[in-house]
Amino acid sequence: MSRKLRAAVGLTVAAVALTTAACATTAPTTAGTSTAPAASGAADGSAPVSNGAAQIKVTLTNNGNDTCTPDFTTAAAGPVTFTVENLSAAAITEVELQNELKILGEKENLAPGLPASSFTVTLDGGSYTLYCLGATPETQTFTVTGQAAAAPTGSTASLLNQGTTDYATWVVGQSEELQVAVTNLKAAIDAGDLAKSKTAYVNARTFYEKIESDVEGFVMPGFKVSDNKGNLDYLIDMRASNLDEAVGWSGFHAIERDLWKTGAIGAATKKYAADLDTNVGKLVVVVKTLEFKPEDLANGAAALLEEVQSNKITGEEEEFSHTDLSDFAANVEGARQAFAYLQPGLEKIDADLMTSVVTQFGNVDAELAELRDNSAPGGYLVWNEANRAKHRKALSQAVLGLQQPMQKIAEKVATAK
Amino acid sequence: MTENADEPARAAAGPASSEGAQASTAAVSRRRLIVGAAGTAAAGAALGAGVTAAVLGSNERGAASVPGASGTDSVDLTRSVPFYDQVHQVGIRTPPQRHCVYMTFNLTAGATQQSLQVLLARWSAAISQLVQGKSIGPIEPSRPDAVSVDTGEASGLAPASLTVTVGLGPGVFDDRFGLAAKRPALLANLPRIPGDVLQPGLTGGDLSLQACADDPQVAYHAVRNLARMVTSTAQTHWVVLGFGRASAGPGQETPRNLMGFKDGTRNVSTDVDYESFVWLKDADWMTGGTYQVARKVLMTIETWDFDRISDQQRIFGRTKLEGAPLSGTKEFDTPDFALKADGAHVIDQASHIALAAPENNGGVKILRRGYNFTDGLNSQGLLDAGLLFLTYQNDPQHFVGLQQKLGSFDLLNEYIRHVGSAIFAIPPSPKAGRYIAQELFE
Repeated sequence: MSRKLRAAVGLTVAAVALTTAACATTAPTTAGTSTAPAASGAADGSAPVSNGAAQIKVTLTNNGNDTCTPDFTTAAAGPVTFTVENLSAAAITEVELQNELKILGEKENLAPGLPASSFTVTLDGGSYTLYCLGATPETQTFTVTGQAAAAPTGSTASLLNQGTTDYATWVVGQSEELQVAVTNLKAAIDAGDLAKSKTAYVNARTFYEKIESDVEGFVMPGFKVSDNKGNLDYLIDMRASNLDEAVGWSGFHAIERDLWKTGAIGAATKKYAADLDTNVGKLVVVVKTLEFKPEDLANGAAALLEEVQSNKITGEEEEFSHTDLSDFAANVEGARQAFAYLQPGLEKIDADLMTSVVTQFGNVDAELAELRDNSAPGGYLVWNEANRAKHRKALSQAVLGLQQPMQKIAEKVATAK
Repeated sequence: MTENADEPARAAAGPASSEGAQASTAAVSRRRLIVGAAGTAAAGAALGAGVTAAVLGSNERGAASVPGASGTDSVDLTRSVPFYDQVHQVGIRTPPQRHCVYMTFNLTAGATQQSLQVLLARWSAAISQLVQGKSIGPIEPSRPDAVSVDTGEASGLAPASLTVTVGLGPGVFDDRFGLAAKRPALLANLPRIPGDVLQPGLTGGDLSLQACADDPQVAYHAVRNLARMVTSTAQTHWVVLGFGRASAGPGQETPRNLMGFKDGTRNVSTDVDYESFVWLKDADWMTGGTYQVARKVLMTIETWDFDRISDQQRIFGRTKLEGAPLSGTKEFDTPDFALKADGAHVIDQASHIALAAPENNGGVKILRRGYNFTDGLNSQGLLDAGLLFLTYQNDPQHFVGLQQKLGSFDLLNEYIRHVGSAIFAIPPSPKAGRYIAQELFE
């Protein structure tokens, strides 16, 4: 299932810096003449070097069409800084440097009137593409001559690749924690201890919710995805609203119903707990076979946030226990872990995007921290209708703020080199 | 000339305007629709956007339509309204389009001066694309893991005279963003006004977007896409989906509010009135700007509908069908508030028009640019609808003074509730290569 990422050679993104100086008024004199070398350029027509990097100024203008014009189209191998300024090209929002359709570095959020901003990549000799989203033409060739010194650290792709391996290990660890927690839940239920069972239930849920984004892989060998009998996610986490009559109700939420709605542990509850324990055991085996691509982590993190937005904030997940906020926190933690494993690679591609995601995680954490209630099961406010009405807008908007930068990551890491 | 440059009619008719040229060529290739009386529609279809535009552009009220006759206003969806290089933001003097989505936002806890700057720049650039009927980025990106930049539902739709007007609330100038020194002189939260039953969820906001178009999907697409590109910086606060303009622009027939009465017969319309009452002069970076007040006004529609006609007309001070003041016979007859019959005022002194009339308010006028709205049914199963009352004035006190009087004494108060309220500074139009309120960051 997993596509092995090719290790890239001779590339590293050295730094990504936002130029804060307001230089919107200093129009480059070379705008519109893409190949004319400036006086300060090297004798061979390649870009001048300063601060240890070849300097390329990319100017975005509207002359009837929105155009993207670098002052030099050639640079010597080594660090190259692209400083992008949007003078009047309203359709151009993003500039990337690519190699064989892989993103090496980029600048987003470009709009007329904003100060110039820059990104720096270390390039080996060869042919590259300057891609200006929304420009006419959208792509131009950028040539690098000579050879760069070997990159001191791993390439972006190898960093991301390492991240996926580490993430897979983390997921296995979580599934094993889940196994322990579910076994504890089963023991409490077998002992007929209602209070202890409730605590054990909420605790076990969090481990599942952290890795819930990987449910597409939670299918037992030999079963089709469309067969709920072999779908571990269904067997473990089905809700009344998506009940498959042919398979029957079981799993976490059947237990939740008995513990909170019925308020009694019966023979059926014990059967649910035993089945859950068995199915989680199978899950641990399946999870060990999972492999991930960088974009799987990004899409998984985005999917967990979608879960939060669609099922947790609405209170649909924990219909009887109203412990949705505990699941919420676990979903967010799962998304944070997936993101964290991509972070070293992502930082090389788009440091601004990385910082934005970190900031937005902080905002979600802050909103969630407001809702802590250590006296409640799971440590958060009971997510009943009254509390939902009071807090759901702030929570939902904070999650939306995180979803915005998160949605862009998969595309970047899938095409990293 | 520039005073009317934001009118699509002018832009389309002006030979020097590239936007006008675009509208004309677009008429050939784009899907277009003309609604109106058969004659107008036929003329528009046969002769192109320029002619329709010229007719609508007439400043002489009634030249293009007979007051009282219905359906003579025409809509040409191929028209576009230029965004850059206007003196004032568009969507204010622009003849009111048929539909409007009005949304307010609050800046997030994590928002900074820089993220506000990026928001205003991205919004400005995107609006300049949207008003031309363009998408704001790929609808179907080439990379499989990429997310659509533009959501796509306006693809293939004509510009429909879309305007998006951006407002800055008082919160932009509090201590969060270091912009307190640039606060527009008269921008402050509105005081409590008699009769207000404001709901917190419908009150205030740090930013506003007024997106008006002759196609509701075009207006909705604009707000949706502008909102989604900034969720990390600004959160949605409240929204009103307006349909059916409830105020007239130059050459437009006076439309009706949901009470069935004409609204805006004596609206601000002349250059002199705009200069005196709408646009800011000598106001530093806000010169050419104005202030927007938004009020969500619920109507108790069923109750109103059961009221006898004589009472309804007494409440407004006008006749229902013609819209004539009760002291006259024609819509544009000047009301005679002193006129008495059998010892009583013919126009009740507590009627809506008597209380709001400039002659009874020291000559003050405000530009009204409202839209009817409905939110469906309320919890009682009654029609949940009313008026999104949008006003523009160079001194918010003009609105406050009028509304304090109306809120206290208006006979209409029995049938309306002011439930939402906000004020925003509307910066002037940006030049090409710049963005709205760029002066704040320089």
